[in-house]
Amino acid sequence: MHIPDGLLAPQAYLAGYALAAPAWAWAVRRVARGLDESMIPRMAVLTALAFVLTTIMLPLPGGTSGHLVGVGMLALAFGLWPAFLAYSLVLLLQALLFGTGGITALAINALCMGLVGGAVVIGVHRLLAGRHATAAVVIAVWLGVVTSAVLLALVLGLQPRLASDAAGQPLFFPFGPKITLPVLVIPHLIIGLGEGLLTASVLAVFRQRGQQA
Amino acid sequence: MKDRSLLTAYLAAVVAITLIHDPVWLAALLACALLGAGRAAPAIALRALLAVLLVNLAVSLGHIAMAELSEQSWTLFVLRLNLRVFLLTFLALWLARHLNLVRAVSFSPALTFLVTLVMGQSRSLQRMAQEYRHAFASRTPGRPPLADRYRNAGRTCKALMDKAETRATELNQGLKARGFFDDRV
Repeated sequence: MHIPDGLLAPQAYLAGYALAAPAWAWAVRRVARGLDESMIPRMAVLTALAFVLTTIMLPLPGGTSGHLVGVGMLALAFGLWPAFLAYSLVLLLQALLFGTGGITALAINALCMGLVGGAVVIGVHRLLAGRHATAAVVIAVWLGVVTSAVLLALVLGLQPRLASDAAGQPLFFPFGPKITLPVLVIPHLIIGLGEGLLTASVLAVFRQRGQQA
Repeated sequence: MKDRSLLTAYLAAVVAITLIHDPVWLAALLACALLGAGRAAPAIALRALLAVLLVNLAVSLGHIAMAELSEQSWTLFVLRLNLRVFLLTFLALWLARHLNLVRAVSFSPALTFLVTLVMGQSRSLQRMAQEYRHAFASRTPGRPPLADRYRNAGRTCKALMDKAETRATELNQGLKARGFFDDRV
């Protein structure tokens, strides 16, 4: 789902870094407070897990598949701030070690998918968990994925307004929100449902194990 | 030091490239990057091409169609977009070949430790996910139904999360036993 390098104007990606920097600082403080000296090994393993989860293929109807986002699963299993930090580190490692994703779009991708997506998952799950545990996970993860897609579509859709030349030609990305919203959001309505079902099945096992212990 | 300079130069180059909008300059920079990469240039260029092909083709064709309908020029934007995205991807892939990230972040012991652990653990978990993929493929001749693919993806995720939890505890205990945290205080 994430935005690659070269499609965002400096006004957008620098603003993204300005917004993400305090969020990362806050996340480090929160995670450090909760995890004492074992923070680094735990964060390392969580980041490795987040990285590998994004490589898992999510089966979709019609024989196709897409990559798992994994933020919802991480946020529900480990909490919002560890999930946000781990996901941000994954984006950084993907950009620097494998040349995928992008360093300019990193902050916006991390904010839209890791922070807002994760926060929506946690918030909606808290609201619905008392009614039906499985449905709460599916709806929360679905909404998290769709919200992230909407935000990324809006950021991309803003680019022609942010950066055009004197002749009105776009400098980075040519399409406005009327095009980016349906193109990005409609497929994620299905991907989000698949990810929700997968997350619910994974977390159900952990819940059962917790009750047995 | 070399890796840190490489990383800093890369970050500066990325920002500079997003500030250049003239296709001639972008093409000149791409030519320099291709020459600078030496013998590895064709292989990196091919990987970069494959990486950007889908998104760039969709954006370029969409823009061309819209520009044609409104009788506007599209060549400048299409050239600018493709040159910039290809150049950035080429540089990222070139950097990935040359950068030793552990050495690049050696100014911070905590960051060095974190990156080392993440890289090692990622490889090990990736191998495990691959083994699950191969095992599933060997068990299911032909195209597996959606429900089976779902079950397999779910089981792989469960196994990975289980393994990660155990690994985190093991790592922590191992480091504690060797006095790692005592040295750091």
